[in-house]
Amino acid sequence: MNEAGAARRAQPEFRVLIVDDDPDMVAYLAHLLKAEGLDVEAAYDGRQALALIADRAPDLVLLDVVLPGMSGFDICRRLKADEATALIPVVLITALEDSENRVRGIEAGADDFLSKPAKREELVARIGTLRRLHEMRKELEERRLAAEIQRKEAIRRAFSRYISPRLTEKVLSESQNEADVFRDLSDRAAVVALFADLRGFTHLAETVPVFRVVPMMNEFFAELAVAAHANEGTIFSMAGDSLLVGFNVPVAQPDAAERALATARAMVRRFQPIARRWKADFGLTVGIGIGIEAGEVVVGNVGSPSFMSYTIIGDPVNVAARLMQMASTNEILIGPRAMQALQAVLGQANGYDRRELALRGKAGRVEAFAVRVAAA
Amino acid sequence: MPENAYTVTVAKDLEDLIPEFVENRRRELESLRAALAAGAFERLRQLGHRMRGVGNSFGFERVSSLGGQIEEGATRANRGELEARIAEYADYLSRVRIVYE
Repeated sequence: MNEAGAARRAQPEFRVLIVDDDPDMVAYLAHLLKAEGLDVEAAYDGRQALALIADRAPDLVLLDVVLPGMSGFDICRRLKADEATALIPVVLITALEDSENRVRGIEAGADDFLSKPAKREELVARIGTLRRLHEMRKELEERRLAAEIQRKEAIRRAFSRYISPRLTEKVLSESQNEADVFRDLSDRAAVVALFADLRGFTHLAETVPVFRVVPMMNEFFAELAVAAHANEGTIFSMAGDSLLVGFNVPVAQPDAAERALATARAMVRRFQPIARRWKADFGLTVGIGIGIEAGEVVVGNVGSPSFMSYTIIGDPVNVAARLMQMASTNEILIGPRAMQALQAVLGQANGYDRRELALRGKAGRVEAFAVRVAAA
Repeated sequence: MPENAYTVTVAKDLEDLIPEFVENRRRELESLRAALAAGAFERLRQLGHRMRGVGNSFGFERVSSLGGQIEEGATRANRGELEARIAEYADYLSRVRIVYE
């Protein structure tokens, strides 16, 4: 192979489909294109052309206008109407003086025209230009795709710190761009809300040097987040020393109450070794208090355009928060509606300590069930 | 018509394609004659159109110009014109001389 041949071979493959019913014209065009190092296929009518394109899309179609059956315009129109083939450049072969056909070709979406008789220099120049354009377009498309993947990955990384992996996937699959994220997720939904907080936080903040507090809180939240995500809960907020987790949102979880209880138990157990270490290192007595309640909430993106958070708002969230405040260290307080859901699954509430509690902001007393998690 | 009017210069690299091209022109001549005998003007128009497109591409300008005239004659159903042009085409094909450069 000579140097020119080697250089051509080094270029990416470029396949041209010639569609012409005249075998001499096909032979002529194929000869010129092969001499330029291009791969060539031929079809002698529209049906054959479309079948070949569907089987393996070429990089360019050189299309005669007058064909038996389907015309070159028809073929061009079909290719341009189909998303899968719309970007393949189409060169229509028309007589130079035939302006009517050129207009029809433009209307059909042709990218360029080649005059009959086909002059070698003109053919090579036009194909060369379209090849460069096509390769540039392909490269831009590849870059656009790479940027899109990168953008989604960035969103995935950012969101996966706060919300469950399943919600991240839902957001990514449903949104076309950043502006759409969460936009359509506002809804009323039956959820199970779980509130957990760190018992002994005030003492910790007073006793431990400030520079150690944040890493310790991160350690605390990390364990709770693992417990929440292991049960496919969605973390709606982390504020101060407390954490709000929702179940049955945004994806349906028929066993949401069980998941919430399993999460609560896992949170207490996972935190116990850390609590022991903090006791040893700093003399702190810490643990977790948890409240769980079920019911209907509003799920949505709440805030201002500059700061928003995906959250749940409603009575069950408030009750869960109050129950959390009233729970003793390493105790889980379950509200009446969450308990009802649990009983439907687990049978009678044996092993649960039933209490009548007066919750701040609530008229009358609320029936709650307490579960203590034994030390591991 | 002078003899040199039937001399065609063809690019050297197209040489391999020419025997088939010329053979196809001879078949085309038979098709033209058959179509004329049958009074199939649309077929004549199509054959003329094809000649017009392919001739010049290979360097056979005469084939293209005759093709244009046949296409035109068929559109107007001008039998006399078509007979004359087809006879001219037959003469051309029998006498054409090809030079490769």
